Amino acid sequence: MMPRIPRIIKELFKIKKLDISLAIFVGIILVGVLGPLLYPVSPFERVGRPESPPSASAPLGTDARGRDVLALVIGGIRNSLYIGIIAALIALSIGVIIGVIAGYKGGITDNLLMLMTDVVLVLPSILIMMLIAAYLKERNPIFVSLVIGVTSWPWVARAVRAQMMSLKAREFIYMSKIAGLRDARIIFEDLLPNMASYIFMAFVLLMSGAMIAEAGLSMIGLGVTRGISLGIILYWAQLFESVRRGLWWWFMPPGACLVALASSLLLLSTALDEYFSPRLKGG
Amino acid sequence: MNPFVRFILRRLAFLFLTFFIFSLIIFALPRAIPGNPLASLLYQIIQQAQSNPDLVKAVHKKLLEEFGMDKPIHIQLFEFFGRMLRGDLGTSIAFYPRKVVDLVLAYLPWSLGLLMPATITAWILGNLLGALAAYKRKTVTDNVFLTIFITLSQTPYYWLAMILLYTLAVVLKIFPLSGAYSRGMSPSLTLPFIIDMLHHYMLPFLSIVIGAIGGWAIGMRTMVIYELKADYVSFVDSLGLSDRKILQYVFRNSMLPQITGLAINLGLMLGGSLITELVFSYPGTGFLIFRALSTLDYPLIQGTFFLLVSTLLLANFLVDLIYAFVDPRVRTGYVGE
Repeated sequence: MMPRIPRIIKELFKIKKLDISLAIFVGIILVGVLGPLLYPVSPFERVGRPESPPSASAPLGTDARGRDVLALVIGGIRNSLYIGIIAALIALSIGVIIGVIAGYKGGITDNLLMLMTDVVLVLPSILIMMLIAAYLKERNPIFVSLVIGVTSWPWVARAVRAQMMSLKAREFIYMSKIAGLRDARIIFEDLLPNMASYIFMAFVLLMSGAMIAEAGLSMIGLGVTRGISLGIILYWAQLFESVRRGLWWWFMPPGACLVALASSLLLLSTALDEYFSPRLKGG
Repeated sequence: MNPFVRFILRRLAFLFLTFFIFSLIIFALPRAIPGNPLASLLYQIIQQAQSNPDLVKAVHKKLLEEFGMDKPIHIQLFEFFGRMLRGDLGTSIAFYPRKVVDLVLAYLPWSLGLLMPATITAWILGNLLGALAAYKRKTVTDNVFLTIFITLSQTPYYWLAMILLYTLAVVLKIFPLSGAYSRGMSPSLTLPFIIDMLHHYMLPFLSIVIGAIGGWAIGMRTMVIYELKADYVSFVDSLGLSDRKILQYVFRNSMLPQITGLAINLGLMLGGSLITELVFSYPGTGFLIFRALSTLDYPLIQGTFFLLVSTLLLANFLVDLIYAFVDPRVRTGYVGE
């Protein structure tokens, strides 16, 4: 017998926005993951004449060093996704921990943590990222993720704190407290599960933001120092004046993949938001 | 104490705190990072000594003096703050012997001249389009609009800039390829120069406007949808108030959060537009920062970031104050009047 699909999953898949965004997102991930198997061309080797337009042998042409742009894009997608996920996980952890503690404890702890959050919030994150990255000679993907992660958590902390405050006031939490359960248990068993959909949406948004931030850092010459990412391809394209010299196949595909990845994630979170918050639904 | 004065004092304290923390970051970064980037920079400069010994010696001396690396750390910190407060941000290495402050002041007007009008145009258009989409919610129009907004909001300005530059300047040749004005012209208040400048201005302007519309529109759409469900709307609706009038009220109430958004996002936009300037070789602060970063000109990096972020923090502070004056909800909520 087929296992029964939970009703919520069925309902979710009825949302057109969610289906479209998932299809785009998964499609691009597949290009990144299965790409190297289906298209086994090295992104680091010279495969043809430099700067040749798309042809049968190189579907997206070659760059200034004769490297295959399609192979570059496939590799770039993988690394951009990797940086996006790691950075989002870092930002999410910081944001959730600070939000949960501030919202649950209240009082002076709350005041101090929110003060810290506000400070990070008003400092322009992209400038801070540039400032930190500028002093690092070697930048691997983990470091780039870290730089992005530690500057992009404040809004998550504020949002989680707000959720925490409203959940805390509910009766079932009060019951758990009367029952003498420990704080940690209340947080992990009663509060966090109730915020799961919310935390997932935050992750999705952080991830799309991180991928865009990575591209921005790369464009200004502060991306990963070894390897490729969508931003790094754009950086090379910019450095070699690909736009003014009409080499459209070089700068269009990486940018298009980045925009498609990031906007499918935002569309996904919008769809979920409309589903989970009744105030946004129809009417 | 007057609650409003207390509010101002609190915001002022916050302004100083953020300012202090940011200065600490600027101060600590070159000193805290392993391998000491400053020392290796000095080493590089000494190595180049053969090519132009006098200049290199002068730069080296100036750097040692400004960073004071030979002194204990707390004295370095005091001297650093002393210099910052006097407005002395040091001397550039790449543009030696020009002062960092002079360089930033020379480049900043181009950035502001590009950013301010573009941001405000995008903000106005985005709010109108967002409100329109919200008004048409649950229709095809709204779905199409929302998809476009979402895609635009996730499109980096500089990539949009590349696309626009390619289609409108390279292929169609309607606009010039780079710069803020034609080579051979010098900035002056004459008609031919102004026309030439506007001609160069259009593409960078458009790419920032189009790139920024989406974000504002999404925010406004959500806000208006929330407002339309507020009790006061059903109340005045049941009184028989016209749709037009109701929409006016809803629009005004939804605008207020967008105003703070405008201030907070100026920082973000500045970051995004920095790279757009690179694409167009537009002589703004983005161009300056890129030069500073690629030549590892640490005094210039520190100085430009210091000036930019201070300006942003100050702008944020001012908007907070104006906001408290304008919005009765904030006035009662935070100020307690």
